This record gives sequence, structure tokens and C-alpha cells, in this order.
Amino acid sequence: MSMNSENRNAESSYVACPRYEAALEDQLQGTLRGPEAAMIADHLATCVGCRVALEDAAVSARLLAIAEPATDPGAGFSRIVMARIRQELQINEGKSIWRPFVAVAWRFAATAAFALVLLVSFDLGRHSQWVADQPIVAENRIPEIAPDRPSLPASRDDVILMMADTSHGKQ
Amino acid sequence: MAATASALSLPVSRREKGEEERQLVRLAQSGEEAAFEELIRRHQQRVFGLVSGILRRREDVEDVVQQVFLKVFVSLKRFDQRAAFSTWLYKISVNECWDYLRKKKVRPLVYEADLSEEQVSRLDGVVSADQPATSSSDRAEARDLLERMMEKLPEQDRELLVLKEVEGFSVQELAEILDLNVNTVKVRLFRARARLMDVYRRRLHSKPEQQTEGKEG
Repeated sequence: MSMNSENRNAESSYVACPRYEAALEDQLQGTLRGPEAAMIADHLATCVGCRVALEDAAVSARLLAIAEPATDPGAGFSRIVMARIRQELQINEGKSIWRPFVAVAWRFAATAAFALVLLVSFDLGRHSQWVADQPIVAENRIPEIAPDRPSLPASRDDVILMMADTSHGKQ
Repeated sequence: MAATASALSLPVSRREKGEEERQLVRLAQSGEEAAFEELIRRHQQRVFGLVSGILRRREDVEDVVQQVFLKVFVSLKRFDQRAAFSTWLYKISVNECWDYLRKKKVRPLVYEADLSEEQVSRLDGVVSADQPATSSSDRAEARDLLERMMEKLPEQDRELLVLKEVEGFSVQELAEILDLNVNTVKVRLFRARARLMDVYRRRLHSKPEQQTEGKEG
């Protein structure tokens, strides 16, 4: 079946009826039997779109038959895979020896970090409280009520004067 | 080991083959490496076909297939054998391919140049039922041309067509692997064929001046 571009381009405006597409695929595979086969044959006799679509599908199957399936990787492949699996298992085993220690270390580190954060935040809280309290302390400071310490008399006259001031030397 | 040997020497009628495979899976689940190696040997070609049908870069196929079997080995103990081992294996393969494509962000290969008239007529000859290409060089070139046409198709169409028509998966298998209804697979396949033929006509049979008009439009 040689492809004629002009005819084919004209034909490409035809499309298969959506409700028959699955059955047309079966027809292409040759898996339709009995009443279903008869039904699709009747439909194909009257529907140009489905007929052309089925012809196209047959051409596509021939086109795809050119392609070659993937080649067998060979007998050695399974051995390569098994070697890789063993290698991965060994790596995982190596990891699993240290896993309990690593887990404990992580927990310890997390606890230490948490404690450090608590300490720092507590200290910061205290510091900010102290800073906030400073103006209040300054405002509420009570002036000193204790009298100035009296200076010692320097001479005999000073003593007489002091006694006169305080009336201790009552006459 | 004796159990493995007896499992491997079972006769190969279809039902017995299924039972034999279940036995191999059980042995592999119990840690018998020889049984798992036999499972690899039995399925490696189809897994290769499946993976190379989905991936674009053939150089990565072997690595991805190895990864698939590694994953299967690791999760084999959780496999309850309610589905066939092959279906489970193919599903893992498909998921691994999609993961790979997502990680690598592989973009479709784009062929800039369209095909020459000579190439078109050669492909016509291959498609033609009355003049099949006989020489290996003709077939090799036709394969290359087909590959270029397939690259123009949406990813999903390409996968379905390759898996069905090239790698020989049945519609039922494709439905199970891709988690789709059987009828959906048939409809998608039929539409993918139509799109392939559309590419065939538009790309191969369009004249140069028509292509220029198309690009300008």
C-alpha cells in the first residue's frame, strides 16, 4: 500500500466515531469475535471515517513493525545486578552498625541545643527586666535622711561654739 | 538451594510456570539469592524493553533497570503475591522511569531538519505492504526515520505505541502496568496511531513551501 500524499491529506479530515475506537483497536488486533465482529463489520460498511481510521491504524502497525525491540542485556546482567545488590546491602549494613550511636548523638545534640536556648532566653529575659526596672528604681530612690557627719572641732573655741549650738552646755 | 533447584527444573506449562514463579518469589522472599537471580534472568529482557520504551536515552537504560531490580529486592518481602510478580515488577519499572525523567528533567529530543524526499520515498517503501524493505541498511534508515517521527508524538502516545507494538506488551498488561481501564488503553492506542499517521503525513509529505507557510503562520 503506497502512500499517496494528496489522497491521504484529503482523507485525514476523517475521524473515527469515538464509541467505536476501542472496537476498532480490537479489530486491528484481530481479537473481535461473534456478534461484536459482525457489528463492527456492519458499521465499517457504512462509516467512511472509521474505515479510513482503521486503514491508517493498519499502516501505523506496519510502520512500527520496523522498530526493533530492546536487546537482551545478556546472561551476565543478572550477576551484575546481584553484585550491585550485595554492595548496597553491605553499605546499608555498615550504616546500621553506627545507627544506634548516631541516633543517641543526635538526641544528645538536640537536648543540649534546647538547654542552651532555654538558658540564653532566660538570661535575656532577666537582663531586659533589669534594664526596664532601672528608671523605676531611680524615681523611687528615697533621699538620704541621715545628717552630715559632724566635723571634729579643730580648736578649743570650736568646742565652746558647738556646745553653745547644741545647748549641751546649759548654763 | 535444593528447593531452588527443584523450582527451576519444573516443567514449563503455562499454569505450572505461574506456580513455579510464585515458588521462586517465595524463595527469594526467604533470602535465597539464587532464586532472585533467576527472577532477574527471566524478566530482564521485558524490563529492558519497558524501560527503553519509556526513556529516551539508551545509555541510561541499564542503570535504571539495575535500580529497578534493586528496589524490587529491597521491597520483595512486602510483596503479597496477590498480583502477578511480573505486573508488580513492571509497575515498579514504570514508576522508576518516571522518577528518573522527573529528576533528570529530560526534554524531548528535537530534530530540526525534516526528511528529504528520498527519505520519504524510502519510508513509503518500508510501509508499503507490496515492497517491504529487504536490505538491512534500508531497514536501519527506516528505523531512524521512524524514531524521528515518534519524537514528534506526545510522551504518552509514544510510550503506548512502543510498549504495545515494539516491546510486545498486551493491552491487558498495559492496563495493569499503567493503572488504566482496558478500554481506555485501546482508545488511547487507537488515537496514538492516528496521531502517528498524522505526523507521517504532515512531516513527511508536506512540501517545503507549505512548511514555510506553516512556520510563518
